[in-house]
Amino acid sequence: MNKQIISFPKDGKPSLIPNRWQVWDGEHDEGGIPDLEHGMHKVLVPFHWWITHYKNPDIIHRANQGEIGVWFAADDDILKHTDIIEAGKSLWPVVGAHFPIFRDGRSFSTAALLRGRFDWQGEVRAIGDVLIDQLLQGARVGFDTFELRADQNLDVALKQFDLFSVVTQNSWRDQRATIAAS
Amino acid sequence: MYKYDHIDQTLVDQRVIQFQNQVERRLNGTLAEEEFRPLRLQNGLYHQRHAYMLRIAIPYGLLSSKQLRTLAFIADKYDRGYGHFTTRQNIQFNWVELEKTPDILAELAKVEMHAIQTSGNCIRNITSDAFAGVAADEYVDPRPICELLRQWSTLHPEFAHLPRKFKFAINGAKEDRTVLLCHDVGIELKKNPAINNGELTADIYAGGGMGRTPILGSLIKQGLPWQVLPSYLTALLRVYNRFGRRDNLYKARIKILVKALGPEEFARQVEGEWANFHNEAKQSKDNFTQAEWERVAKHFTKPNYKDLTELSDEQLQSHADSKLNASEKIGFTRWLERNVKPHQVPGYASVILSLKPHGTAAPGDATSAQMNAIADLADQYSFGELRVTHEQNLVLADVEQMELLNLWRAAKNYNLVLPNIGLLTDIIACPGGDFCSLANAKSLPIAKAIQERFDDLDYLHDLGDITLNISGCINSCGHHHVGNIGVLGVDKDGEEWYQITLGGDQGNDASIGKVIGPSFYANEIPDVMTSLINTYVEQRTADEPFIDTYRRLGVAPFKEAAYRNNGKHSKESSKGAIA
Repeated sequence: MNKQIISFPKDGKPSLIPNRWQVWDGEHDEGGIPDLEHGMHKVLVPFHWWITHYKNPDIIHRANQGEIGVWFAADDDILKHTDIIEAGKSLWPVVGAHFPIFRDGRSFSTAALLRGRFDWQGEVRAIGDVLIDQLLQGARVGFDTFELRADQNLDVALKQFDLFSVVTQNSWRDQRATIAAS
Repeated sequence: MYKYDHIDQTLVDQRVIQFQNQVERRLNGTLAEEEFRPLRLQNGLYHQRHAYMLRIAIPYGLLSSKQLRTLAFIADKYDRGYGHFTTRQNIQFNWVELEKTPDILAELAKVEMHAIQTSGNCIRNITSDAFAGVAADEYVDPRPICELLRQWSTLHPEFAHLPRKFKFAINGAKEDRTVLLCHDVGIELKKNPAINNGELTADIYAGGGMGRTPILGSLIKQGLPWQVLPSYLTALLRVYNRFGRRDNLYKARIKILVKALGPEEFARQVEGEWANFHNEAKQSKDNFTQAEWERVAKHFTKPNYKDLTELSDEQLQSHADSKLNASEKIGFTRWLERNVKPHQVPGYASVILSLKPHGTAAPGDATSAQMNAIADLADQYSFGELRVTHEQNLVLADVEQMELLNLWRAAKNYNLVLPNIGLLTDIIACPGGDFCSLANAKSLPIAKAIQERFDDLDYLHDLGDITLNISGCINSCGHHHVGNIGVLGVDKDGEEWYQITLGGDQGNDASIGKVIGPSFYANEIPDVMTSLINTYVEQRTADEPFIDTYRRLGVAPFKEAAYRNNGKHSKESSKGAIA
């Protein structure tokens, strides 16, 4: 996992912050969340794993401590699990949406739905094959933190958010400039 | 035409800087080619067989003389002195260098042009009727909606990485000149007193397309008020983005999703998604406002037309006759008949400049000298504006009838007045295997051979309306599926073969052509065309167009004639296989 992630709060500025969350892929499941790296207590578990484990008392306990979030795979249909996600709003400090490869845009819609449909107010993190040139789009649809692929240059990444001063359609972050001009 | 304000200009200027930065990272090795690829494609930059190709958007086909001069300048400075107008109202330059593309984009930005989303798996350049705003059969000028949606779709963050490319066409006339039903989304604009108080509404067709699986779009929504287009289209694209197939490139277009679900189920899912936008609290933010309409629509007012008297064809002819010699008379008369179209305003006409000379240039190609000349003609005769048709010709939309003769003379000097619009040699063709790395076969030599075979204008005029479309591969950029005669290049064991389809049509009776049988060698194609055309001439009733004869008789007599004299060298036909 990356030591630093990009944080770009909706009404703030982009910056690098320490990464407190480990993304667990859900594999090698030996009956629970695996041991985490030294000093790490917080973990994003796959949403499909959460669905089958969230009634487990240990998991409930950890979740109540604010140590568990979920991440959505690109092919998770989050609209099929609205009850679980609604309940999760008071449990998960962070949710993630995963990019299996940079050119797979499904998680943009997942983030837009989380913000627009579920009115998710907490953090939405982009994980997986997240590259510099997805940041602008991601930030607009609803992501506010980004764990970039390890080889990406974070200085170049941080500069992406200043590239455009106008947009021509509404998004989670901003309203189209054209409406104000009209 | 639309003029950028500071918002539009800022956006394209900043887009140039963004792309400059991406190119720099590519050149210094920090951005891998595989990861650069979708970025350059979304700026219209392909890597072709020989060089990079840059595809520049001509939104809904509208171009100013100033913009055309810039395109001529780019052709000379950065390319080889010509450009290729495409079937989707773009222009392509085939020989650009990667390092120079940011400079080209900067030149374009100076004249309010760009290459944004002319390729890639995103919403592409929106196309429309080349005769928008002037066509005699128009009930709604589609250009304000085209422009509003151009802006809405430009750099749309949620739909930057769709399963596959996504093409809009918008029509507002009785006759469909946009191939509406062959688009991912077709928007038909209407004004019906019974719906939405007679305000502008849209009927939405989804899931049309050509390519490997040609399908005509299905009507999924009727009478949609224009204001709610952003939320409805967001819902539609979101359903596609989430559920369109990503496992197989050839099944990733929306047409496959619509077909798999069925149009009713697809429409229901879109409606379900839309219901969450379209509520009292949210719609006020997403909907287009009247003020936004006015910001855009004020640019599409009528030019300063003179108060003129409408002239009949006979009057026009007799006006010209005294000034023309015998051979000129024939040429001018044919040109009036084929290349001049009726106009909404008395005393005006629209003129199509043919970019389909017989065998001397690729269909849709224009040299920089022609572009500069056309820009001058536009300034002199048509309020400084012109349009690009999906048939790859150019239109001067607002010409005074009394000036037609002067225009004809001036355009003749640049080889732009061949009276073959809508005729057999007005061929739509993709660049094919000469340029494109996707192509299985060449298309330009086939077009050239057919144009040379049918070089007799008397004969062509006698044949009347026939569309002949050629694609070098199944991606169908030459729209062969909707040609009355379609030619498709196919690869068999490393050799170039050509498959013939018949019965395709665009317009209100759009239909997909049917394959007649095994493919032919390239050198057989002119003879095959002769056989098909002879069959038509023998079988037609008076004034019956080719497509009607085909529909009346079916494929059998055409097929029989095509294979009677041809296909003898074909390995497949000797084996009796069906291509």
